[in-house]
Amino acid sequence: MNEDNFVIVAENINKTYGKGNSIVNALRDVNIEIKKGDYITIIGPSGSGKSTFMNIIGCLDKPTSGSLFIDSVDVSTLSDNRLAKIRREKIGFIFQKYNLLPTLTALENVSLSMSFAGVDYTTRMKKSQMLLDKVGLSHRLTHKPSEMSGGEQQRVAIARALSNNPSIILADEPTGNVDSKSGNKIMDILEEINNQGETVIVVTHDPNVAKRGKWTIRIHDGMVSPYAD
Amino acid sequence: MLIDNLKISIKNIKERKSRVALTLIGIAIGIMAIVALMSIGEGMQSAVTSELSSLSDTIIVTTGNIDINPMGGGFSGGAGRYFTQRDLDDINRIGGLESVNPIIFSYAYIEYNGEYQGVSLLGMEPESMSNIFGIDFLGLESGEFMQSGDQNKCIVGHNVAKEYFDTEIKVGNKIKLNGYNFFVNGIYKKQGAGFSTETDDYIHLSVRDFKKVTGQENISGILIRVSDVSQVEPIATEIEFAINENHGSDDFANVITMSSILESIQSVLSIISIFLVGIAAIALVVASIGIMNTMLTSVMERTHEIGVMKAIGARNFDVMIIFITEGILISIIGGGVGTVLGILGGQAFSVVSSSTAGPGIPIQPSVTIFTIILALGVALLVGIISSLYPARKAAKMSPIEAVRYE
Repeated sequence: MNEDNFVIVAENINKTYGKGNSIVNALRDVNIEIKKGDYITIIGPSGSGKSTFMNIIGCLDKPTSGSLFIDSVDVSTLSDNRLAKIRREKIGFIFQKYNLLPTLTALENVSLSMSFAGVDYTTRMKKSQMLLDKVGLSHRLTHKPSEMSGGEQQRVAIARALSNNPSIILADEPTGNVDSKSGNKIMDILEEINNQGETVIVVTHDPNVAKRGKWTIRIHDGMVSPYAD
Repeated sequence: MLIDNLKISIKNIKERKSRVALTLIGIAIGIMAIVALMSIGEGMQSAVTSELSSLSDTIIVTTGNIDINPMGGGFSGGAGRYFTQRDLDDINRIGGLESVNPIIFSYAYIEYNGEYQGVSLLGMEPESMSNIFGIDFLGLESGEFMQSGDQNKCIVGHNVAKEYFDTEIKVGNKIKLNGYNFFVNGIYKKQGAGFSTETDDYIHLSVRDFKKVTGQENISGILIRVSDVSQVEPIATEIEFAINENHGSDDFANVITMSSILESIQSVLSIISIFLVGIAAIALVVASIGIMNTMLTSVMERTHEIGVMKAIGARNFDVMIIFITEGILISIIGGGVGTVLGILGGQAFSVVSSSTAGPGIPIQPSVTIFTIILALGVALLVGIISSLYPARKAAKMSPIEAVRYE
């Protein structure tokens, strides 16, 4: 297997919670390969394990067994701080509830993860401005999250996700908390990002959102299968 | 990164103004207490030192056991023991002395305006009188000290002048001591505590007049001034040895130098200062628990935020630094406020104490740069220590749990 073409390679990933009789198998023998520049949607009902899968791909959580390669690096055995580095450099998160820091302005929110990466102030401010411009929020630079609509907040979150030039954009129900018009706009932006060569993974339970991916996988009871309507 | 931490911390503090303000008051009170007490302590030390250092070339020899107070009860103490002419001769043989002044003590009847009262007399050469009792916080209320060679002149203590008789004794008045006429050359200031016992209720005369009035010349004390201040201690030891040998006793003489008095006063003051600062330190411990509590609450409230920061790539260390910065910021602001309040508090203390305690040694609180650095340093330390645990707790949070936390 030539891993070089793949951004993500998951090999026999299992994730279990609990012990003894109350053991829960959130993921069972998941194998998946995702190429650079792909646009994948992951669909599944709540409780299916899709969030667990997303957390593992996003290096927020470690698999109980199996290996996960991100850009050919086995991340399943890394320390907390090495995982933080992977999250910082390789992954851009977009959450359902935006998860912006409430005390910071749009500009500061976008530049925060660059500051964790050690990017100097002027560079990061310039880049944050450019990214906010890209998501159509150049008029909201100094607004705090509470002063913006849900759709706008999510676009700030997209700008933040892009800030460290990640290998993967990982979006968890990105349209879950916004109206359909804003949702469409967000999906358009994600599509545009993908068109520029970025790998995009979107987790959703909405078939309309799932359709926008180049391909869709379905998670059910912790198992992955190709999705068909 | 540092600037970002500061920005984040400042914003977080602004979000929780009232809680931070309460925490801040705690630390400010602790630091205020330390600064105020240290400045008052420094002030006491320097007041005592400057007042007494004018007497640093002086050795006082008394008989028997006396307390630390250089003159209070000193010359009149030592019941029934007196120095002899031989003692004086022996002292005079020691080199490096500027002057040797015997002090004699007795009682007499004073007659003024036809009224009679008993009064304590102290005989001393006029020159030493002005040297010893002329210093800043003693000194004369009116009139002047006698000149060497003056006869039939005296200096009257404050109480004697104002309270002993129906009409006040004034400079230039005539009084009679055991029937001898005396001209009142000066009146002492009221001393209150401290040196009072040797001036307030006394009449001071020259040695010659004293002998004339009382017929006595029992030497209760000897006042010696040395030419070289650095030789005070060895000369004092020599004098003590000589007199004790004359009287065949190990503790006949009490030899007091200003430096030995200073040392004992300063050691007492230091103990008091340490005790007071210790109390202030307890206040600080309480304050630091306050900071810890505030920070822990803040960590709990921001669990979700911590998760987000970790998800977007913050290391444990980054998270920790954010919270420690916040703790330090609170404690430094509190420390700054406390320092200013402490300086003002020290000043207030000196105003209040000098108006209620009456005249005495005036205490001017002194705030040294060391005190300020120490206060801010302590504040910084308190900030670091008390935010360490909350910050660690924040850093150790699992990002996934934290992101999920609402």
